[in-house]
Amino acid sequence: MSAQSKKKLYGVIAEYDNAAALYHAAEKIRDAGYTRWDVHSPFPIHGMDEAMGLGRSPIGYIVFCGGTAGLLTALGLQWFTAIFDYPLIVHGKPTNLIGTIPAFFPVMFELTILFSAFTAVFSLMLFTALPRWNHPLLGHQQFKKFSDDGFFAVIEARDPKFSLAEAEEILAAVGGKNISEVYDE
Amino acid sequence: MSQATSQNQFTQGVKFEARSGALAVIALVLMSLFSLGAAALLFNSDPKRTAFSWLFAFSFYFTLGLGALFWVLLHHATNSGWSVVVRRQMENIASLLPFLFFFFIPLILLREKVFKWLTIPPGVDPIVDVKRAFLNEPFFLIRIGIYLVLFGGLSWTLRAFSIRQDKDGDPRWTIRSQGITYALLLPFALTLTAAAIDYLMALNPHWFSTMWGVYIFAGAALNSMALLILIITALRSQGYLAEQINVEHYHIMGKLLFAFTVFWAYIAFSQYFLIWYSNIPEETVYFLRRNTSTWWYLSLFLVVGHFFVPFLFLIARWAKRRPTMLCIAAIWTLFMHLVDLYLVVLPNYSGPRSPGVDFKLSDIVCLLAIGAPMSALFIARLSGCALYPLRDPRLAESLALKN
Repeated sequence: MSAQSKKKLYGVIAEYDNAAALYHAAEKIRDAGYTRWDVHSPFPIHGMDEAMGLGRSPIGYIVFCGGTAGLLTALGLQWFTAIFDYPLIVHGKPTNLIGTIPAFFPVMFELTILFSAFTAVFSLMLFTALPRWNHPLLGHQQFKKFSDDGFFAVIEARDPKFSLAEAEEILAAVGGKNISEVYDE
Repeated sequence: MSQATSQNQFTQGVKFEARSGALAVIALVLMSLFSLGAAALLFNSDPKRTAFSWLFAFSFYFTLGLGALFWVLLHHATNSGWSVVVRRQMENIASLLPFLFFFFIPLILLREKVFKWLTIPPGVDPIVDVKRAFLNEPFFLIRIGIYLVLFGGLSWTLRAFSIRQDKDGDPRWTIRSQGITYALLLPFALTLTAAAIDYLMALNPHWFSTMWGVYIFAGAALNSMALLILIITALRSQGYLAEQINVEHYHIMGKLLFAFTVFWAYIAFSQYFLIWYSNIPEETVYFLRRNTSTWWYLSLFLVVGHFFVPFLFLIARWAKRRPTMLCIAAIWTLFMHLVDLYLVVLPNYSGPRSPGVDFKLSDIVCLLAIGAPMSALFIARLSGCALYPLRDPRLAESLALKN
């Protein structure tokens, strides 16, 4: 026990019976005013972002910008190489932008998708602080069920409202079981 | 909440009051008589041009009905949960298909004026001769009968099963509907393709496009979704379905509207692109006519108005979650569908005037002459049954929808 107390406290974890219990617990934790907390379930729960009080993710806007950049990159690349720098006559079709643009569309389409996908993946990694080698929760014995049949809520110690007693109290009040502390190893 | 009270709660006010629609029906019947009379006069003075306008109007309503039938089939094929509360309206739209075939009679009578391959005798045109196995008069008439039986039978059967389930709540009807759908989904796709060829592609018997069926289907599915959004909103504005349908359902319908806007553009561009790229005279004839003279402006308007405008409008989440915004998008989409079909049908008319865009009164009159009786029939359909499947096994899931 003395060895454990030297470790940094990461947060408090509580286990819930099912998705509905976790959903209602999330609503209560949200209303209690916590900001640094999370829930974990083996599958996505519809409406959980609302229950947790999460706002709209900015990723949609970032992806829109990424897609637009892809579209313009493809257009610029093809315009420069096939019209401006070295006009290519294919099938006797005109070498101006309006006369050739249908041939550019597939590349514009593909680069829009590619850039959108890249911005989606990389901005998601940025926002979720990935990649990382380990997470304090992964070392917690109880948490091992999270990808099987465990429904967990975790209030983190870095939450400005956090106090161990209060966090344990609220997790228990909303029906949490097996409440325990998680330490950063 | 017990099963009994929840069942009771959702059966309140689910029937369309015939009285509230009575005034609309009278107005529509008067409008039908008036516009049908006007159409008859126009048929008398200029049968060929009026027949083209009639075909344009007929294909508009036909694609809407086919699209609605597609959504019903898709619902059963995928065992969908979300769409249960809006499915009945799709069934109502699709169930008008057999009535619509009544409005094809003028075109059967005037078929030689519209489908000019019927007038080409064998041995004159080698391109038409190789297509004789499909393009011959008896088979053409048989096919129209097949469309009537298949589309009509399918839409009426699925609607009848759904209404019977309202009464006895037996999940067997759901399973039966699914069985019918699995058996007939592929024949439906093939028949839709054949209908698109018969009614629209064969207007120019030399031309062909292997993407034609999908192109017509994309417009049909898109615009029946737009029509569904308008019908649901109209019902809600009269106080129906207020508790059953919420912004989540609108969001999904908006997403499908958006998806099929993109799908239509994808198919339309792919068709254009392949024809443009390979540059074979037999294929390019379609776009040559539409990219020259005043048709060119209409074609450009189609590209911008059918894809870019709704795409940029519907890409935002807020537009899909606001019924007013979604209705604006739906009305615009339906208007662009009219432009699309106008551009498909009317360039095939080569009258005494120039081959450019030449709007005629008959274009509007024919739209009204089919649209007004169809709307009246739709209101009659509406009051014939509950406004949503009352005892569908997946109703609870649909009511509790979350995106």
